[in-house]
Amino acid sequence: MSATTYAWLVLLFPLAGTLVTALGFRWLPALAPRAPGWVATGAIFLAFLSALGALLALQSHVPEHRQMTSSLWDYAVTVGIDARVSILVDPLSVFMILIVTGVSTLIHLYSVSYMEGDRGFSRYFSYLNFFVFSMLLLVLAGNFLLLIVGWAFVGAASYLLISFWYRRTTATRAGIKAFVINVVGDVGLVLGTYFIFKHTGTLEFQKAFQATAHGAFGFAPNNGDLVAGCVLLLVGAFAKSAQIPLHTWLPDAMEGPTPVSALIHAATMVTAGVYLIARMHPLFERAPAAQDVGAVVGAVTLVIAATIALVQSDIKRVIAYSTMSQIGYMIMGVSVGAYAAGLFHLMTHAFFKALLFMAAGSVIGAMAGEQSLDRMGGFRRALPFTYGCFVIGGLALAGIPPFSGFFSKDEILLVTGERGGWHWALYVAGYLAALLTAIYTFRMIFRAFHGDPVPEARELEEGHQHHADVPRNPATGEAEDTDVGFPGPNHPIAERAMPMRVAMSILALGSIGLGLLQIPQVDSVIDDFLRPSFGDSSLYATHTRNGLLVLGLILGAVLGLTGIAIAYRVWVARPGTAAVIRARVRPLYELLVHKWYFDELIDLIVVRPAAWAGRFARDTFERLFVDDTLVGGTTGLVRVGSAAVRAAQSGFVRYYVALLVLGVTGVGFYFLLQS
Amino acid sequence: MSIAWYLAVSAIVFALGVLGVITRRNPLVVLLCLELMLNGGNLALIAFARMWGNGDGQILALVVMTVAACEVCIGLGMIVAIYRRRLPIDVDELRELQG
Amino acid sequence: MPPLSILIWLPAACGLLGALVQAVASRGGRVSASSTDGPRWTAPGLAALIGSLGALGLAIAYVADYSPSGGGLRYVTDVVWISELGIHYKLGIDGLNVFLVALTALLFAAAVLAVNLRSAPRLERPSLFYFHLMLAESAVLGAFLAQDLALFVAFFDLMLIPFYFLVGGWGREPGRVRATIKLVIYTLVGSLLMLAAAIATGVLASQRGGGHITFVLSTLQSMPLSRGSQEWIFLLFAAAFLVKMPAFPLHGWMPDGYRAMPIEVLTVFSGVLAKVGAYGFLRIALPLYPQAAVHFQTLMLVIGLASILYGSLLAFTHTDTRLIVGYSSMAQLGFITLGIFALNPQGAQGALLQMVNHGLVVAAILFIVAVLARRAGGSEDLRDMGGMAFRAPVLAALFLIVALATLAMPGSSNFVGEFLILLGVFKAKLAIAIVAFTGVVMASVYALRLFIRAMHNRPGRQVQSREMTLRDGAVLVPLVGVILFLAIYPQLPLHRSERSATAAVASASHSSAPGSSAVAASSRPTSLSPASARLISRAAPAPPPGCHRSGPKLSCSVEFKVPLR
Repeated sequence: MSATTYAWLVLLFPLAGTLVTALGFRWLPALAPRAPGWVATGAIFLAFLSALGALLALQSHVPEHRQMTSSLWDYAVTVGIDARVSILVDPLSVFMILIVTGVSTLIHLYSVSYMEGDRGFSRYFSYLNFFVFSMLLLVLAGNFLLLIVGWAFVGAASYLLISFWYRRTTATRAGIKAFVINVVGDVGLVLGTYFIFKHTGTLEFQKAFQATAHGAFGFAPNNGDLVAGCVLLLVGAFAKSAQIPLHTWLPDAMEGPTPVSALIHAATMVTAGVYLIARMHPLFERAPAAQDVGAVVGAVTLVIAATIALVQSDIKRVIAYSTMSQIGYMIMGVSVGAYAAGLFHLMTHAFFKALLFMAAGSVIGAMAGEQSLDRMGGFRRALPFTYGCFVIGGLALAGIPPFSGFFSKDEILLVTGERGGWHWALYVAGYLAALLTAIYTFRMIFRAFHGDPVPEARELEEGHQHHADVPRNPATGEAEDTDVGFPGPNHPIAERAMPMRVAMSILALGSIGLGLLQIPQVDSVIDDFLRPSFGDSSLYATHTRNGLLVLGLILGAVLGLTGIAIAYRVWVARPGTAAVIRARVRPLYELLVHKWYFDELIDLIVVRPAAWAGRFARDTFERLFVDDTLVGGTTGLVRVGSAAVRAAQSGFVRYYVALLVLGVTGVGFYFLLQS
Repeated sequence: MSIAWYLAVSAIVFALGVLGVITRRNPLVVLLCLELMLNGGNLALIAFARMWGNGDGQILALVVMTVAACEVCIGLGMIVAIYRRRLPIDVDELRELQG
Repeated sequence: MPPLSILIWLPAACGLLGALVQAVASRGGRVSASSTDGPRWTAPGLAALIGSLGALGLAIAYVADYSPSGGGLRYVTDVVWISELGIHYKLGIDGLNVFLVALTALLFAAAVLAVNLRSAPRLERPSLFYFHLMLAESAVLGAFLAQDLALFVAFFDLMLIPFYFLVGGWGREPGRVRATIKLVIYTLVGSLLMLAAAIATGVLASQRGGGHITFVLSTLQSMPLSRGSQEWIFLLFAAAFLVKMPAFPLHGWMPDGYRAMPIEVLTVFSGVLAKVGAYGFLRIALPLYPQAAVHFQTLMLVIGLASILYGSLLAFTHTDTRLIVGYSSMAQLGFITLGIFALNPQGAQGALLQMVNHGLVVAAILFIVAVLARRAGGSEDLRDMGGMAFRAPVLAALFLIVALATLAMPGSSNFVGEFLILLGVFKAKLAIAIVAFTGVVMASVYALRLFIRAMHNRPGRQVQSREMTLRDGAVLVPLVGVILFLAIYPQLPLHRSERSATAAVASASHSSAPGSSAVAASSRPTSLSPASARLISRAAPAPPPGCHRSGPKLSCSVEFKVPLR
């Protein structure tokens, strides 16, 4: 079979899984309680195998012929647009489908145990399979329209999963927020597509890239329309990848089940922006101004998110801000031309971040749904396996050699540094954030696993799980709805369930070992594999400056270790230091706790004016102008006119007769005078 | 004799009838005045018939008289019916048609 | 294929027949007085169902038989109706109306089925109700199929009569009378303006043409009016169509009308009648008054934009579900207006597709509103709803699909329509396209708000969460099926309507060019699909200045610079 056939299969299996779990929501659980979960996991695993098949089929071609397209039917081929249901299979998309299907398989496996006993078990897996289908559609799409379709589908799947426990108002609110911000991103993507289509006249990626190469936008860099198009594409990327200022949905999205946070809001969907920039590199490289926008926003995000992560107390939110920060690295990387490095970091990040979320899910399960770090402590002995996984993930995140994050992060910063000029500012920001990363990661680990065991941890050490009497939503205090379900009581902890252990072990191995794929000066598997996709790139170059390379590696390791040491001193060696620091820099602390006031700002300039305008239109404008002036005016006019006419209808017969006679006489005189 | 005299009489009779219909409130008198108007018309018809020397106008006058007789029947019947229902015999009081 | 008159008059005939059968039967004393809770099949109901299903079958046959490659009118019926006035009874199908006819037949069949299956409240005076409904179907089909201006006006006015009785006779209190009067006054004023405009068109055209008076559209098109008369006539037509849609600020009848109509009547009213207005622009206003269309392009675009923004704002402010649907329709029709007055093939294609899509979606969502109201203790207010997804997964899934289609999520057919519309506007007026995109964002807010506050969150006080019944499903599932099918294969309508949509805006986009029509050909977008490319190459065999041929593709340096005024 050809690579494209395999790619179609990759799409087919998750779609089939979605339909089977959705339509079989009654008979599948009747067959076996966990049947929907296994069907869904199997579907994704088959997709993973097909992706491997696509990889092998692709590698059997010579590098020059590793870009293939295939289309099934015409989607919208009319009046100048040419959108077919077509896919583009090249090393970049195969790389992405391998990550997506691989990580998804493990997360499905984890979910089979984690979601066991939840009321919406079937629903959950059909959503999850739908998400994987959408994500695969996004990365395999061969034209802009299909890309937008996949782009919106993952947004919808993400919305559905965020508000999975739909009787929690916090969950539905977070869901609609995520959806609307993602629609803003879609709009950016569509408008950007228009700008590009305007000049290239095609929606197919490859034709558009060829047209660009042949001067559809002229041959000078920074054509106005191209820059506008690319910046609008970046808006789409920022919304999906939670970059400032369109990031506020991601922390709220942690309302969803924890495996969802691991899959969608860490490992796959949020990296779509990185993929988009890498995919569109032939356009971006002709619009350096847009690239600079991407790089700066990425750098700003990675620093700001890291600072916020320092002070948050919700364990999942800390990891969410860390995700934002890490995606900031990737966006910055692909924007400065470090495509392979950015995608490499995307891969390693998928593994260690999914691992961190799963481990966090295990702790949250042990706390019966409680997510606050303030109430955690001393889980080291109660959850040894989770502790090990958390530390491995944390070391990879903090960039400690030889864990995977070390190599990928340093490579991005290396390429950034090599660009020289003002990019040194980005370089410095990247290393500053690396220090912060190590601090907040180990703050989380020390606060959750070290110190005195909390009652829940003690209970667990004695062998039974803690359950709250009356479950309450920690965010609002409202009683949970037991009809539909909520996080916590039904979700078993990692230590006991075999599928969860297997999934976490594989991810842990990946977090340790994947960095070995691309060690500077030793091997460059990722670089070589992706090269055919970036053959036309002028920035896809090999690194030459050894001095910078060595400096970067040493700096990264030292900063990571320093960060861990600081965290150890503040939260383990001398507990109470944190309170002292907090008191000393009160305003800064307030700023960080309130997440730099982004939510409040958006509320002030977007949400409130819109709501006010809506109320004004409904209560005032509609009543005064439309109803009173227009409708009332029209009816009033009719009424006055009819009143005048009605006065003639007095009902006196003689009155009518008189009128009649007068009329006839008048007409008679008229004709008399005429003749 | 010039036709103008006949027409003048006819017009006077017709005008008297109109005046009666407009000013009187008793339906009986209104009916009588209506008859007056019809007869004014009849007079003119016959005068013209004589002028042209053929019978068309006379035939039409006969038809008008027949119609007038029918109309009086219906009109008187209605007046009797109104009287029987003890409604006022006054055309100004009967103004259901008012808009 | 059978003549189109059968398609038009079959529903009305069935409605009449049903009423007659019922009259004869009740004279014989066989009026059934059963008081069971289930659906009560009455003779008029069955007759109406047969009639509407027959029309649906015919309409599908026309869609299947209509070949996309052949341009122009097909299945033409052309009989002289009033020879002194040059009025023809001329019907025909082309790419513009073939899918609208199918949509009409589908929605009326769904509405008739829904009324038949309804158990409570019981339908009073069924003979009359079904007769009016079927007469309305005939009138709408006639309006879509008419190819003579006077015939179009006649059918357009005929549509109003049954709806007047349906709202006045079967509407909901309170506000029934008020709604009826508003509806009639608004639409009647529009109709009269249109009548005047139609007569003026016929008279003026015959004066200029020097021949006999005629109202046949194709003939009128070949006798263009002077620019001055085009302008005022265009405004009269625009007023009539905009009231029907409705567009801001001529929507005064809409809130009351939406609240008062029986829900099945509302589905066809909102789904189909609104489209007649938009269709009128494409069928009549643009081809007959191209210069006026260009002259008033900005005005119409601003009206469309205002409808989008205003409708969206109110749709996420109101809590009455019917009004949310009503204002969201207003916003959607604003998009359609934008597409039509982009005056280029992309916009027209998008507008046509969006008319079909919106009809399907709005009907489905109104049926869902009815289902929801039955679960919320009869209330149609969002504040009384909530949490209904529990125990109703199928209903929730269907609602979700419809809600996502309403907000034109990519992947739905609505998105393809909006994509084309906004692409057309983008090419015509960039600034308006950018503002219109805020409407896309607001659509996601109001559609999701409707879904979440009905299905999710805490249950309302009187909410009983239960799965929808088979009867609800019989109406909803086919509609959602069609929505899904069009989402997967929007090429079906796009392919069939391409030539007609291009032709409908051709004269307007030509007259927007400064010079003659030969120059105008070069202002057209160049990367057309093969069909339109052939059209162009036939019109202009040699590439116009600024263009060069590379292989089968014609590319121009003036590409997309649609010169407007």
